[in-house]
Amino acid sequence: MAQMPKRVKHRKSQRGRIKGDATRGNRVVHGDFGLQSTQGGWIAAATIEAGRIAGTQYMRGEGRLYVRMFPHKPITSIPLETRMGKGKGEPEYWAAVVKPGTVLFEVSGVSEAAAKMCFARLAAKMPVRVRMVRRRAI
Amino acid sequence: MAETFQVEPRLPRGKRFARRERQAGKVPAVLYGHGQEVLPLSLDGAAVLAAVRHGARLVELTGAVQESAFIREVQWDTFGTEVLHVDFSRVSADEQIEVTLPVEMKGTAPGVKDGGVVQQPLHELTIECPAGVIPEKLLININHLALGQVLTVAAVDLPAGAKLVTPADIVVVQCQLPVEQEDLEAGPGATAEPELIGRKAEDEEAAEE
Repeated sequence: MAQMPKRVKHRKSQRGRIKGDATRGNRVVHGDFGLQSTQGGWIAAATIEAGRIAGTQYMRGEGRLYVRMFPHKPITSIPLETRMGKGKGEPEYWAAVVKPGTVLFEVSGVSEAAAKMCFARLAAKMPVRVRMVRRRAI
Repeated sequence: MAETFQVEPRLPRGKRFARRERQAGKVPAVLYGHGQEVLPLSLDGAAVLAAVRHGARLVELTGAVQESAFIREVQWDTFGTEVLHVDFSRVSADEQIEVTLPVEMKGTAPGVKDGGVVQQPLHELTIECPAGVIPEKLLININHLALGQVLTVAAVDLPAGAKLVTPADIVVVQCQLPVEQEDLEAGPGATAEPELIGRKAEDEEAAEE
């Protein structure tokens, strides 16, 4: 089941713009290796879930996968064959807003080769370009 | 053997000049500590990157200054590929300093043969030790880690003369049976909406009326 917030202040949000690079959430924190976005974009809750399932199924109980993003943004849309106007559409899904540099997933407790294979499967699900990064000492 | 950096004085100061330094393949840096003057410096970017990647912390500065220094902080770009700035603090080899170091596991846990998975919840810890013996990383031996056991900060091998700053009872490594990451509980459905903050439920409003 895809994630979404438990409580929100407003049902709908404006589109917004993704400006600049990530200055937070751009380091590997929990695991040994991370999957870092090199593009900005919206990642739907269902896509995050698809990535999580792909990653956990590959690891089969070895190591641990961490999801470092959360779909906070409600995305609305207007139904097909509807005349324009009559207000903003209804919320359709939830998405995580990702800036270039954001670490999307992390893994720990597996070898680098296994992490690479895991991320390759996971990256195929993502709508943004990604690269593998490792934990930094300082 | 400490890494040696050839440094030059950095003048004038300011973000424009720092940016030009970086474009020329250099890294702006600053040297401070021991109650002496703060010196803006510049040094070769490739040398800094190589030293930092190899975990160097205590370095020798030559050129504009002749001192041993401790790499206090490194600023990275968004993608963690380039060093933007380095903070050096003056140290003498026998001075006690606080330093945060990565912790790595050493050995193979027997608990893995019993079906366990080794997890490391704590990746770095802070110690106080003489500047001359700062290791690249701290090691924790997991050769006796059985299934269901944990190793705390107290089990980490420390260099001579070092003492822990991080509380000793924090878990560093544990060996547990793998837990299936539970499916996020099936909610009321894809069309369900979250609760609105500050808006009362309709039945509550009706009850008030």
